[in-house]
Amino acid sequence: MQHSSAHAMRRARIFASALLLLGALPVRAQSFTPPPASAAPAPAMREVVDEFGRTIRVPQIPMRIVSLAPSLTETLYALGVQDRLVGDTDYCDYPPDAQKKRKVGGPINPNLEEIAALHPDLVLVTKEINRLDTLRALDTLGIPAYATRAQNVDEILSTTQKLADLVGVPETGKSLTADLQARLAALHAKLEALPPSRVLFVVWARPLISVGKNTFIADALRKADATSIVDASQDWPQMNLEEVVRLQPDYLVFAASHAESAARDFEALSVLPGWRLLDAVRNRRFAVISEAVNRPAPRIVSAIEDLARQLHPSAFQDALAPEKPAAPAPPPSNPPASSPAAHMTMNTPLFAWELACAR
Amino acid sequence: MRPLTLTRLLLRCSILALILFAVVVVAMKLGAVQVSLYGLGKDLISLLLHRTSSLSSDYGMIVLGIRLPRILLAIFVGASLSVAGVSFQALLRNPLADPYVLGVSSGAALGSIVALIVEGRLDLSPEMAGLITPVGAFLGATITIAAVYILGRRDGQIDSTTLLLGGIITASFLQAVIMFLMTTLSGNNLRGSAFWFMGDLSTPQPRSLQYLLAFGFVIAAGAIYTTASDLNLLLAGEKEAMHLGVDVPRVRIVVYIAASILTGLAVSVSGTIGYVGLLVPHVMRLIFGSDHRMLIPASALGGAIALVIADTLARTVTSPTDLPVGAMTALAGAPLFIYLLRRRIA
Repeated sequence: MQHSSAHAMRRARIFASALLLLGALPVRAQSFTPPPASAAPAPAMREVVDEFGRTIRVPQIPMRIVSLAPSLTETLYALGVQDRLVGDTDYCDYPPDAQKKRKVGGPINPNLEEIAALHPDLVLVTKEINRLDTLRALDTLGIPAYATRAQNVDEILSTTQKLADLVGVPETGKSLTADLQARLAALHAKLEALPPSRVLFVVWARPLISVGKNTFIADALRKADATSIVDASQDWPQMNLEEVVRLQPDYLVFAASHAESAARDFEALSVLPGWRLLDAVRNRRFAVISEAVNRPAPRIVSAIEDLARQLHPSAFQDALAPEKPAAPAPPPSNPPASSPAAHMTMNTPLFAWELACAR
Repeated sequence: MRPLTLTRLLLRCSILALILFAVVVVAMKLGAVQVSLYGLGKDLISLLLHRTSSLSSDYGMIVLGIRLPRILLAIFVGASLSVAGVSFQALLRNPLADPYVLGVSSGAALGSIVALIVEGRLDLSPEMAGLITPVGAFLGATITIAAVYILGRRDGQIDSTTLLLGGIITASFLQAVIMFLMTTLSGNNLRGSAFWFMGDLSTPQPRSLQYLLAFGFVIAAGAIYTTASDLNLLLAGEKEAMHLGVDVPRVRIVVYIAASILTGLAVSVSGTIGYVGLLVPHVMRLIFGSDHRMLIPASALGGAIALVIADTLARTVTSPTDLPVGAMTALAGAPLFIYLLRRRIA
């Protein structure tokens, strides 16, 4: 017992929570007995169940949060709790202030020492880009880690609400998600009558990688009244160009941080053999939306609205003034001077995929 | 050649062990988080003397909870790979043989990927889920080794050339299966395996697994060491060894199985870390000669030293972002190998 009191303490804690659980189960079944006054644990702690179904113990109000994904960092900023964010990853670049936070490495290979040194009382991870190994390592070290997963836009909103509850700002979360819901509903009302556009979402052009039907990106496209022509169940399918030509998408959709660079990329593609066989390429029908679409965070709603405006301009021309006086943004018919040799330089956060295929 | 006495053997080994100790101390000091070794030592001593009840959390969690387990894992993996390398080089009488040459790493990689796929389908407790990848990798490694062994037999005898070629072809076949699985499956977990291919020591292993690894190493390396004199005679040729009274088939099977277990254990917790098992035995042979009674322990210690240094660099060069340690060993190992090769020719 003397050799490591940290271990002993952890063991005691596990034992205590097991006791609590054991105690709680029959109580719930009987339901009239008040829960036993717990044997005085640290007062401000509580147990929560994360989206993996794991039970973790966190403070009532976590004060030292480490985020291991750009989407989680964005969500914390959207909830206004950025002051309690003490560390994030190299890839957390939005809002710009997030770049100034202490960095703990990349989402796939965060530095455990750096995380531990920040003494976090809550680490946020997501199934979308973090490794299960990281989650296990945090468990081993006794650092409370809350795991999220969001496979569609609705789940992104519910995850946002759960995170708001977790960090102790449930009201902010309610008003944020209500606002997002309202915007999505308004969009849905506008687009309901229109036939969906058939689009190809270009994650990567050479080789051509798109998104599978089970990804949240495909769901975001659906919310913008667009259907992906890709019907793959893999998340990042490599597409055969012949198949794309056969399916003839109405639009190509790019996600990029700068519209100009995406336009350049489009120009570079349009001179390649094969791509010219696409009507969308010949008629310059492409939409560029913010990279936000790649991140399961509240900002994805803006990207959805933006895409809807570009794909269905007619729905936005009537006097039903949209909340945002954004420019109508028709498909750019006259893109800036092209440099055909430009490489595809889309900064998607899909380095996971890159890693997987680079070897 | 001067005879290898027990005193000389122990002396040389303790010099290497001292170097290893020094390297470990430096590795404990370096990392993303700055720690003072003096402070750690003082804290440790007062803890041992029961003056305090716990270490300060920076020392307790970061140095002893994260850094030291990682260093110990590097020692285990480095020692295992090097001993396996020495064994395969002697067994196959081929200086290019390394622990991975017989397709072991590809088998382990495939096993770990299958384990990840299976894990996604099952609803396992976190403890079990943490063990399933190493178990899958180990099973993949042993099945591959058994398959290659059967491929390498001719008329009931192991043929070195057939074994080597069988291993290389098996490895490339398994790589193709891995690529197929990785492109067709939609597992989110597979991103972890991509990292794994480059060698990764950053994941802390459960305590039970650590004991298992240590136990496995002692048994397998011990078994190999019992054949050290026979391996020396084997260097002269199989027929010659047989005439000198060596039970060649028995030695071969013992060394083959033990070296495979070492490789399987190492690869199951660290992924593919190249060059350690190939190079360290060569360097040790240059320093200490080719007597396996000396070469095997020297390689174990040398491999541990090499991998602790490589992993410390991987942790610190781009801190706080970790590099895959396999990239580090390849960066240093490939040029060193070419140097050794040219030197031998000259």
